Amino acid sequence: SETLSIVGSWSSLPLNKLYENPFWNETIPADSKGEFKVTMTTLDQMGIGGSDVFRMLTDGVFDIGMTSADYAVSDTPALEGLDVPLIANTASKAKEVVDAARPMIDDIFKDTFNAKVLAIVPYPPQVVFCNAEVKSLSDLAGLKIRASGRMTAKFLEALNAQSVNIGFGEVPGALQRGVIDCAVTGAGSGYSAGWWEVTTHLMNLPLGGWDPVVTAMNLDKWNSLSEKNQNFIQESVKSKFEKPVWDSAQSALNDDIACLTGNDNCSKGDVRNLTLVEISEPDMLKAKDILESKVLPEWAERAGSEWIQRWNETVGQVAGIEISANKAQ
Amino acid sequence: MILFTSMGLLGLLALSIPVGIVLFLLAFGVDTFFSPFPLMRGLGQIVWSSSNNSTLIAIPFFVLIGEILLRSGVAQRTYAALNTWVSWLPGGLIHANIATATMFSATSGSSVATAATVATVATPQGEKLGYDPRLFTGSIAAGGTLGILIPPSINLIVYGFLTESSVPKLFLAGIVPGMMMALLFMAITIVLCSLYPKLGGPKQHSSWSEKIVALKSLSPILFLFLSVVGSIYMGWATPTEAAAIGVVISLVISFAYSVISTEMLIKSLVGTVKITSMIMLVVIGAYVLNFALTASGFGRALQELLQGLGLSPIGTLLVIILTYIILGFFIETLSLMVATIPIVVPIIIQIGYDPIWFGILMIILVEMALITPPVGLNLYVVNSARKNGKMADVIIGSIPYVLIMLFMVFLLIMFPSLALYLPNNY
Amino acid sequence: MIRIISFLKKINNGIAVIAGLALLACITLIILDIVLREIGISFSGSEEISGYVMAAVTSWGICYGLTAKAHVRIDFLREKGNLLISSLFDLIALAALSYVAVYLAYYAIPVLSKTLKSGALSNTAMEIPLYLPQSIWLAGWIWFAISSSVLLIISIILVIQGKYEIVDKNIGTGGDL
Ligand code: NA
Ligand code: NA
Repeated sequence: SETLSIVGSWSSLPLNKLYENPFWNETIPADSKGEFKVTMTTLDQMGIGGSDVFRMLTDGVFDIGMTSADYAVSDTPALEGLDVPLIANTASKAKEVVDAARPMIDDIFKDTFNAKVLAIVPYPPQVVFCNAEVKSLSDLAGLKIRASGRMTAKFLEALNAQSVNIGFGEVPGALQRGVIDCAVTGAGSGYSAGWWEVTTHLMNLPLGGWDPVVTAMNLDKWNSLSEKNQNFIQESVKSKFEKPVWDSAQSALNDDIACLTGNDNCSKGDVRNLTLVEISEPDMLKAKDILESKVLPEWAERAGSEWIQRWNETVGQVAGIEISANKAQ
Repeated sequence: MILFTSMGLLGLLALSIPVGIVLFLLAFGVDTFFSPFPLMRGLGQIVWSSSNNSTLIAIPFFVLIGEILLRSGVAQRTYAALNTWVSWLPGGLIHANIATATMFSATSGSSVATAATVATVATPQGEKLGYDPRLFTGSIAAGGTLGILIPPSINLIVYGFLTESSVPKLFLAGIVPGMMMALLFMAITIVLCSLYPKLGGPKQHSSWSEKIVALKSLSPILFLFLSVVGSIYMGWATPTEAAAIGVVISLVISFAYSVISTEMLIKSLVGTVKITSMIMLVVIGAYVLNFALTASGFGRALQELLQGLGLSPIGTLLVIILTYIILGFFIETLSLMVATIPIVVPIIIQIGYDPIWFGILMIILVEMALITPPVGLNLYVVNSARKNGKMADVIIGSIPYVLIMLFMVFLLIMFPSLALYLPNNY
Repeated sequence: MIRIISFLKKINNGIAVIAGLALLACITLIILDIVLREIGISFSGSEEISGYVMAAVTSWGICYGLTAKAHVRIDFLREKGNLLISSLFDLIALAALSYVAVYLAYYAIPVLSKTLKSGALSNTAMEIPLYLPQSIWLAGWIWFAISSSVLLIISIILVIQGKYEIVDKNIGTGGDL
């Protein structure tokens, strides 16, 4: 039998608790009838940063690793194309984007990390909590916003907002004291971390994208598996891990928003009363304009023309955006 | 694996191998014997990630503040000023020792530095006035330990870093227990010196005008404390930025006292690099050991062991506290913290205790370790500030204060809000 | 022999001064960042740069810690013996340290080589090429490996020659805190 050593994503978050952990620790060993044994931990328990996971996977420090793709972009700017802010504001749209990008991501992981992509699932989309009167995207101009990820930071710059880097745990205090006006995180995380205590408005727009989490396996390990085992893993991951996560994504988001804004049924417990700000059609157009005129051309310079062409043919088609080649020069 | 790690830790430490290096060696051992995977291929990456950290740079900054203040004469002035305010109490100058230590704790991030500073200025006074050396030196050693409880605190920064908890919250949580402990130190001094006046020395009375004039000498250090801690809570600055502000203010203070010079600055910087390097070797070693232990399933093994004992949460907590007290006799404090945090804190959280609260509890236990023999850095530091005299004096003189620390641990368990009220409400 | 040791010390003292000045520069940068932020100009790069400075000060500072005898050792057993015994303790400690240093430097190299291969940029708006801070950091660990190994060889020779006092003075315990 094979033993797989696995590093999951953040242990405190629902993705790990509800999906990664049961899938790898229970489903895989049971379904394979003991063919696969698993030792699993998470990156936060190991004390390693998100950006270390795939680098260590390259070296075969462990067999399977999962972390937010946003953390791996420093090694491969091309990967930024997987999580462009504001191009998908529903789960089904986000799924289309990820599916379109998948062959490209497979190649990126093979080249950069010597790894085989097994799954790409979303974190809850990264929405905006504000302790300020905001009604539309333009109201973010001039505000100080805590966001992570280079592309989101560039987007905020283009909006004339200021992107601030502070740790997750420091956010409530910083909001309260006005160090920052807004902060971006998953709606569910914001609910459980009590951000509603220190904010007034919730903008339901994926300013930080959907923060896709990639599950990948060391390629040498993958190649050492029999074809039967490869198929088994591939099939199981697809139907029993990837699908349930995507299926629950939209309803989880709706539920979290309901809990935070109190305008619908909430399954989590106490309802809060943030003012919900939905993204409008003009906002979407404005976002698209900023992306096309500024943020994506800059990315094109980082990523190189080969990837831009592939992005235009895949993600670009789904999102209705084209990065023009001459701007990329 | 539990046996291997704990025996290995004690054995290698006894060989007098540097503590940070011991932690690395243990990590290599765990990797070789207990992990089926080549963990150490990730070594470089993990060392890079743990040292490329903008929170940890607050450590050298706070050390630098202490180095500059030590050379600026602020300590002498503060001691003389506090003397006029508290030395009329039974116990005399001993109260000035504790009060000065408390004040310096509010600007220094390190207990050893605090004790060293107070010892340097207080010892000559005590010797001149013929104090019984025991309680006099013990009060400095114990008072100095407040350096890591009252913010700013290097140990709390490290705790926040390793447990991913909020440093500003930890700082806030330390204020009330820190002040309480200072008052309790003074209280037990009053009790002891009223019962046995020979333990103290002559009381000193100062006129009100002397007291008012003295306040002026306290202003620089108060200003420094308010700027550093205030700027964090007013939202102007992160702990790292506040530390940078503190360095600038301490330079301004030295400038005002016209003691600043290139030579003094270079000496302070080199001293800072030295202490920082000592701290960071241990912190990185702990980080690497944590990585190896977690990947090899150490936490699970330990949890199963504890569950096998069938202890209640409070039972588990008491076992942990007892372990710290015992280990504290032998292990240097920062090493004690970093080597145990990865193992202990997950258990503490799992049995339902608050990590911020436990951080403060651990700091008090670590403070105790600083003044218990045979390995108690504050004992050494205070004793080496004297011209001659036995270490036993300092050890005996510290005993009443150790009892206060135990009492404080008890209070914290009974009333967690002593630590948690401020961070939960501000 | 002793000349080599004092040469090492001289270099490492210089390193400590440079590391200290780097800290001072970093403080200046942070203060500048705070001031700019208060008057509303976006900069916010000091956090990222502080991280790189910390990494470099750490690896190079640890080299200084070596010759300044700063790294904490628990010496209650070592104290019990005579000079020969404590010299042997010192040799064991230094051998362990050199082993870790060489091992660490060896495994730190791939961090930089991966960065060079992928051309990694920092994941922030500043897009700093990571090979810059990482090479400074890595060079510190390599110097740590070299200087500790050299010190170890010299110390072994000194012990064989019976010059225990010199060993104690240079690699013993009791660097003051
Ligand atoms: Na302090
Ligand atoms: Na002790």
